[in-house]
Amino acid sequence: MRKAAIFAGIAAALLGVGALLFPPPAEARISLEKCTLCHGKTEFRKILVDGKIRELFATADSLKGSVHEKKTCVDCHFDVSDIPHRERPRRVTCTHCHYKGNAEGAPQSDASLAYFESVHGTAIARGNVKAPLCQDCHGSHQILKTKNESSAVSQRNVAETCGRCHIEIYAQYKMSIHGVAMAKGIKEAPSCTGCHGEHMIYSPKDPKSTVYATHIAAQCSKCHGSISIMSKFGIETEQVATYKESFHGVANQFGSRTVANCSSCHGTHEIRPAADPLSSVNPANVPKTCGKCHPGANPNFAVGKMHIDAKKKEAGIVYYVASFFKYLTIGTMLVLIAHILLDMYGRTKRLRGEK
Amino acid sequence: MSVDEKKTIPQEPIDPEAEAALARETAGLDPAKAHEIREKVRKRIREEVEREIRLRNASDRREEGRRIREERRKEKHHEEGEMFQRLNRNFRFQHIIMFTSVVLLIITGMPIKFPNFFLSRIVINLWGGINNSTIVHRIGAGMLIYFMAHHMAYCMFSREGRRDFLLLIPMPKDLRDAVQNVRYFLGRTDERPKFGRFSYIEKFDYWAVYWGCVIMIGSGALLWWETITLKYLPKFFIDIAHEAHSDEALLATLAIIIWHFYNVHLNPERFPGTLMWWHGKISEHEIKEEHPLEYEEIMAKRAKQTAAEGNNR
Repeated sequence: MRKAAIFAGIAAALLGVGALLFPPPAEARISLEKCTLCHGKTEFRKILVDGKIRELFATADSLKGSVHEKKTCVDCHFDVSDIPHRERPRRVTCTHCHYKGNAEGAPQSDASLAYFESVHGTAIARGNVKAPLCQDCHGSHQILKTKNESSAVSQRNVAETCGRCHIEIYAQYKMSIHGVAMAKGIKEAPSCTGCHGEHMIYSPKDPKSTVYATHIAAQCSKCHGSISIMSKFGIETEQVATYKESFHGVANQFGSRTVANCSSCHGTHEIRPAADPLSSVNPANVPKTCGKCHPGANPNFAVGKMHIDAKKKEAGIVYYVASFFKYLTIGTMLVLIAHILLDMYGRTKRLRGEK
Repeated sequence: MSVDEKKTIPQEPIDPEAEAALARETAGLDPAKAHEIREKVRKRIREEVEREIRLRNASDRREEGRRIREERRKEKHHEEGEMFQRLNRNFRFQHIIMFTSVVLLIITGMPIKFPNFFLSRIVINLWGGINNSTIVHRIGAGMLIYFMAHHMAYCMFSREGRRDFLLLIPMPKDLRDAVQNVRYFLGRTDERPKFGRFSYIEKFDYWAVYWGCVIMIGSGALLWWETITLKYLPKFFIDIAHEAHSDEALLATLAIIIWHFYNVHLNPERFPGTLMWWHGKISEHEIKEEHPLEYEEIMAKRAKQTAAEGNNR
């Protein structure tokens, strides 16, 4: 009996220690109850100095369905300890959990850390309060997986999310072939992140950027050079190869930033098919587009095919010029090399004393 | 002449004839003024004489140096015999301008034709990037255009230019020479074809450069001034020019590297190359071997000249 009582005592003590080490969900519930005392009221909001209203309403349902469903308020708002708050709670720091090797169950990846070097991250570091933090794009309480259609950063919604700040660009993109295709639900169409990258977004003038003058061709050819993607839409892939063989393409590969790249002619956000009269590569607009670099461009610039492959018959007269030189070169070289070999043969024979 | 000798010059008497003429001319003048004029004239004459002596010394020295070098050469390579002037200074200048420009054009142009070749990026970066290398390419182009203009003028306005141009025109003999040369290579005949001043090989080289210059300068100019081209011509002319420029460049480069280099550098008789492009001279031995008809012509001319001189005496 007594033995049993001691055993029960030890067990109780162990359980108590265990309870301290592994807090049960009960504590979370307590935290949530405390917070929702105020934040659970629908009219709980704050009027900011600039007249804007900040909703402070948050309940147990706020995190429901999100990736942080199992987290509680203080898991993220860990600087809150007093109620009512003595100081204004700071913005949530996502890197508290989101790094490789974390023990909180967040994805084991450092990819998001690239944000700190991006144009947005450096703007924040320089003190630009308008620059976006994680939660500005990913949302605050209702954070969903990127693959989830309704996520703010899903392929379909990310343009709108970026467009909250980049309004004009969003309008241009929405009307472009890529934006229209995206609206139709075509999964292959690029959104903002398709070209600019996700966390490592840089200014186009930054050599690290995926849309830097010398990187654009590679970025566009990720899709436009892929037969498997382009064949679905009946778009040719030879544009990439012909560009790379043209003087523009070659100079671009050697690092010229002034020479034309894909976007110099086709536009950046407002890319439209050549048949569209508003397209910068529509024959009617070609003089203006070429005129950006070649002053005094006239309709002659639009006469003839743009992306030419001299090895194919569709190139017309250029193909015949190329063939002429091909056979001229082969023929001449054969005769000259034959002459040299005969000369060597004769010399060798005579040197050996044969005749 | 040493510095000490120079100081004594003013004391030297001038030519007595000049002295007499001077005395005659200044006879009627005031003695003081006459003396002044005489001194002035004497000083001027002495200066002139001194200058004449100095010039003559310099040219004598050069002549002497040339003679010594020639003697040394004769001692060393007595089998070569007399040296004949084959290429004049103007022609050598043209050749130097041309090969400098062609080398510049090839090393700045070929990387653009073969951008994926591993050397291309290195060569472009040697110039400090594509923007600089295109400038160098245009400098080379300018030199080639100048060469072409110079050569055309040379062929029209210089006597030697006109003579050489006429001798470079392909003749039926060249075809016969080529056939005989091949037969000689194959051992079918022991007689090498007798070439004149220009063999069919040299004629081919000449006309290949002619054709190359016309194509390269023509298409290059269309591409250089593309806005002017497109003002008057549709875009596919630019494409044709681009294709022709790129293809002919390859043909010309191959012809130079394979054909010309074999004939003037790698050929066992010339290896590793002669200095004819610099001094323009050909030895008696070589001219007899390579251009026997020209040698005979020179000898005939010489015989005629000596005969004429003999008659005059």
